Amino acid sequence: MKPESDKQPEGFGPPGDAPRIIDQGSIWIMVAAPTLWAAHFVASYVLAAVWCAKIGPSLTQPRWIIAAMGALCAGVIVWLGVRAVRRYGGVFVIFEEITESSERGRDKFIGHVSLLLCILSVLAIVFTVIPGFVFGTC
Amino acid sequence: MTQEIDLSQLPAPEPYDEARDTAQRARLARAWQEPPGWKIITAVNNSNIGKWYLLTSFGFFVFAGILALMMRMQLAVPNNDLFGQELYNQMFSLHGTAMMFLFAVPIFEAVAILILPEILGARDLPFPRLSAFGYWCFLIGGVFVCGSIFFGVAPEGGWFMYAPLSSNKEYSGLGADIWLLGLSFIEVSSIAAAVELIVGVLKCRPPGMRLNLMPLYCWYVLVVAGMILFAFPPLIAGDLLLEMERAFGWAFFDVDRGGDPILWQHLFWIFGHPEVYIVFLPSIALIATMLPTFAGRPMVGHSWIVLSAIGVAFLSFGLWVHHMFTTGLPEISLGFFSAASEAVAVPTGIQIFCFIATMLLSKVRASVPMLFAGGALAIFVFGGLTGVMVALVPFDWQAHDSYFVVAHLHYTLLGGMLFPLMAGVCYWYPFVTQRALSDRAGKWAFWLMFGGFNLAFLPMHWTGIMGMPRRVWTYDLSDGWAVLNMVSTVGAFIFAAGFAVLAINVLWPRGKAPLVKRNLWNAGTMEWSGEIPGKPWGVRSIPYIHTRYPLWEQPEVVGQMDRGEWFLPDAEEGRRELIVTDILDARPLYIHRVGGPTFLTLGAAGCLGAVFILATYHLWALTLAFGAGFIAFTLRWLWTGTSEVPDAPRKYAGRGLTLPTYAQGNRSPGWWAVFITMTGDMTAFMGLVFSYFFYWTALPDFLPAASQLPAFGWLLAGFAALMASWLMTVGARRLLGTGAARAAMALLVGAVPVGAAGLAAWIWSAHSVGLDPTAHSYDAMVWILILWMGLHLLLNSVMHLYVAARIRAGICNRDYRADLMNLTLFSHFLALTGIVIFALLALFPLLMGAA
Amino acid sequence: MRKFTFLTAALLLGGCSGRHNWLSSAGAEADRVEGLFWVLLIGAAVIWSSVIGAAVYAQRRQVDPGLERQARWFIIWGGAVIPTIIVCSLLVWGLVILRDITTDEGDLTVRVDGERWWWRVTYDGPDGDVVTANEIRLPLDRTALFRLTADDVIHSFWVPALGGKMDMTPGRETTLALTPQKLGSWGGLCAEYCGGAHALMRFDAVVMEPADFDAWLAAEAAPAQVAGDDPGLAVFLEEGCGACHTIRGTQAAGPVGPDLTHVGARARLGAGIYDMTPENMARWITDTHAMKPEADMPPYPDLSGARLDALVSFLLNLDHAE
Repeated sequence: MKPESDKQPEGFGPPGDAPRIIDQGSIWIMVAAPTLWAAHFVASYVLAAVWCAKIGPSLTQPRWIIAAMGALCAGVIVWLGVRAVRRYGGVFVIFEEITESSERGRDKFIGHVSLLLCILSVLAIVFTVIPGFVFGTC
Repeated sequence: MTQEIDLSQLPAPEPYDEARDTAQRARLARAWQEPPGWKIITAVNNSNIGKWYLLTSFGFFVFAGILALMMRMQLAVPNNDLFGQELYNQMFSLHGTAMMFLFAVPIFEAVAILILPEILGARDLPFPRLSAFGYWCFLIGGVFVCGSIFFGVAPEGGWFMYAPLSSNKEYSGLGADIWLLGLSFIEVSSIAAAVELIVGVLKCRPPGMRLNLMPLYCWYVLVVAGMILFAFPPLIAGDLLLEMERAFGWAFFDVDRGGDPILWQHLFWIFGHPEVYIVFLPSIALIATMLPTFAGRPMVGHSWIVLSAIGVAFLSFGLWVHHMFTTGLPEISLGFFSAASEAVAVPTGIQIFCFIATMLLSKVRASVPMLFAGGALAIFVFGGLTGVMVALVPFDWQAHDSYFVVAHLHYTLLGGMLFPLMAGVCYWYPFVTQRALSDRAGKWAFWLMFGGFNLAFLPMHWTGIMGMPRRVWTYDLSDGWAVLNMVSTVGAFIFAAGFAVLAINVLWPRGKAPLVKRNLWNAGTMEWSGEIPGKPWGVRSIPYIHTRYPLWEQPEVVGQMDRGEWFLPDAEEGRRELIVTDILDARPLYIHRVGGPTFLTLGAAGCLGAVFILATYHLWALTLAFGAGFIAFTLRWLWTGTSEVPDAPRKYAGRGLTLPTYAQGNRSPGWWAVFITMTGDMTAFMGLVFSYFFYWTALPDFLPAASQLPAFGWLLAGFAALMASWLMTVGARRLLGTGAARAAMALLVGAVPVGAAGLAAWIWSAHSVGLDPTAHSYDAMVWILILWMGLHLLLNSVMHLYVAARIRAGICNRDYRADLMNLTLFSHFLALTGIVIFALLALFPLLMGAA
Repeated sequence: MRKFTFLTAALLLGGCSGRHNWLSSAGAEADRVEGLFWVLLIGAAVIWSSVIGAAVYAQRRQVDPGLERQARWFIIWGGAVIPTIIVCSLLVWGLVILRDITTDEGDLTVRVDGERWWWRVTYDGPDGDVVTANEIRLPLDRTALFRLTADDVIHSFWVPALGGKMDMTPGRETTLALTPQKLGSWGGLCAEYCGGAHALMRFDAVVMEPADFDAWLAAEAAPAQVAGDDPGLAVFLEEGCGACHTIRGTQAAGPVGPDLTHVGARARLGAGIYDMTPENMARWITDTHAMKPEADMPPYPDLSGARLDALVSFLLNLDHAE
């Protein structure tokens, strides 16, 4: 059954823009990887802030928690990257010429950009983990 | 009716018939012509609004630039008493404020409103009246804020308005109120523009322009408008807190009452840093659009630029604390933000090297726009490198708030924003006026600006190293800063002379000059397809696009458009019509009718402006009266101009394509506009939630004893009532879908008192335990959350009654119920807000064991 | 008097001199940043030249299809890999320096409280607090831990020659460690805009031999030596100056303004902005706002003649010379 919001006057019209989860025909995969970076970043910041304000000066534990969260997020991003390659047909090329005017072309483009964003996001997560290993106390 | 347009199966166009062409053109012209004479102020066409927006922003740029020159005069020699302390403090506060809020961000909106529809081969943006409304808000707010300096009451707390300097009335006067209310007003118009542009890019692309074929400019607009949506609202939340403290003494930033000045810095810079990229990316977008034209080939690494735009957009939200490196936060926290500040250099580098790779694979034609683009590259790369320096905490501890940072930020902003913008002005001038600019004057302007800029700002790095702090109106000869400052002053005036040459070149009357030829630069993007002389309708017919650079790769399309062989070549009903397409593949969805010239938007903007201005002077009765006026204008505007029931359910759009004339739910632009606006609204709300947790972290005794907590029972009762009110709205939508109009109406009207009862219960829960917002930050936080809910419920009630009236009038009915769907979407967000507030006020203290 | 002297101008304009210069190696913390700075500067020059060089090369080079490899190399190495390596190393280096220059312990503690627009300075002396204002003396090669607070608005404590700056925020205490390495009088500033006379909120940071410092601190801790019948003291008290200012050893104990117990021993008045001369002091008292607009101290324009002279000479004699 169609969601109600998709019903148009006299039942007329092609399918609309109902947001789809990550799969072919969805653009959420493009923002998913950087969003994971953002989530990890905020979580690390909050953890450190609350830890320093409420618990104690030693950063040994938070350091490993932040690293573990980073590994977890990176793992999910790798999974996203695999989806981007397998389901969307994303490829790692530099002279991308995905200008084919077809649904497949559009998917490949989204997969390709998502793959690049996955790489950038993992890199940014690694950057976030570094400070924990430089500082031992708040 | 079709989902995919298959070119090979598309019926051939009807043979050309001159009489038909003339008749169609006449009808299109009637629908789209701008109002005559002085009534031009009611115009809503993107070409009018865009032009006014652009000129107004440049007006504010000149104003802020003159302030800068006056500051440079004051600093030219040591111990100068030319302007004095008070005026100088006002000048630099207003310089930063006007440059950022009245020039840098609005100019993005101005350029986008002007060229985006044409790049998309569309006739206009999806909500032209909203653009007009946003423009008038911007003009009124900007004049109000800038005008204050002529009465000596300009803000003098810096463009960053740090509390307690700005929150304590002993330290700051009316200027701070003018800043807070005037800019909140302008931020509203920025968000309105962002909503419009996002929907424009997502839903108003020409049929066939899939995401992979979308021009880079559109990607940037999408990304930047999205950033505005997440960056501006926290500042609006901060403004609300600060103004509540100033006007009513609520305790948010006063440390004696449990407040914390650092909170303001967080809220300000969560906005303030992404703001820098909001300013920078659209200008890079201009270069990314111009460079392929002059290179004569597609951009190398198109998708890498998309990556870099999205990557920068995200990372830029992880940089804000680098403006707060010296506030004494724990080193590890500084480390996170230092890391993100360094990481953002990576996507920026990719962006720049894509440009260089494009240059490598082509021969770039020399031209004034490319001259400015080259200058931009040289300046911006330097600014970026000093940016990498100041992102390192120990270095920043020296550089912060010194002239080194002044130099750095002007290198990034002028190199990253102003020079590309000037390139854009020279490039698109013929597009707007259809006349050519003088090349010789353009070169003069460039070299004066480039030389003057470097002369002014390069020595400033050294001034900073010599220890000169920012925002000082005087210094002594013995400080050793005199020569460097004099050099900077000379450079600033040379720069200004260069800009004057450019401005004269642009404003020179060229009424009798010959028209330029069509697609003068031989560009590949759609905005150059326009006929010369120009027509008010934008595109004669809306083409099917299946390439990234249509004018290069589908050269035949221009002639076909001119002959009216594509979609919507006519305006039989005399209405302004656009084609709305889907987000992924730009499949045509329906024909969207937009409003024409009107006084309503002017009236609404005028009243809203009056509300903000009168509130500055605490004239509450008049404020309320104009508030009512604003609501009346807006309701009338919505009633007469949106979600009209069409005369026929569908319409032939040409080339075998028949489209509906009405859409609701997530295929209509209106639904997306509500969705996007409410996302911004939720972001502002998250700013309040952040504040709550910030106090909880910073203050050991933020949560009071159990007896001082809002009464749990009343909170629960209020929550239940609010949820009931929400469910009634949802129920009304279902009932209307089955045709039960009366029952739907009853539920909608009934939802209003139920919601009000819920709010009353919450107010009582806080009042009954004696929470006093002027006493402590916890009390103030509780009340501000309830106030937030109250303001939204007020809006919610007005909309409920409005939709009920629409149902009664038969405009909203079983088949055509976009209004109710949009309202339901709004109430979903409201319900989410209610759940979060309940969790904060009732559940979180329980969880922390306070009860 | 802040005068135009072309001689000093010639001396001070030549490059690296100046009492506020970050690059004067006067402090251990500033030294670390200076080392970082030169590397950053040279690196930036090299990178800038390479990027602009690449752009110029790209424009000059004849177009030929074989260049695609090069273009690809530009994007991957120039745009992504090399910048990543550089910024990652810089990040680690910067964080390590940050860790090294921050400490919670010092050889001595100095509490500085930012006021609009002057500095209240408190040393931990052997016999309790030693309060002074607008001049900070530090022993050579000892790490001074500054505990920074503010009373009214946000200020920022900065002695560029010695090291980085730190904000002074109402409601919280921040710390900053500085280890001076060179004798001399270095300039200190308020770096965070604090309204009105922000530009005129300075102080002197005087670095002394440790033995001299101890002697100075002892002298500063002692109450003022004032004769009970000093006519200047009489004027001081009659005019109500004691309501705001403290002179230890007299009945003046006002907590609002700067402590004047040894004001005559300071090199400057008005929070580090004017030389401590009789003319400046007289003008400061009678026409305060011409010298420092918006300052909280009310001017005393009616004071003149012998009474003013007595007051000025009384204040200037409040030094360590007894």
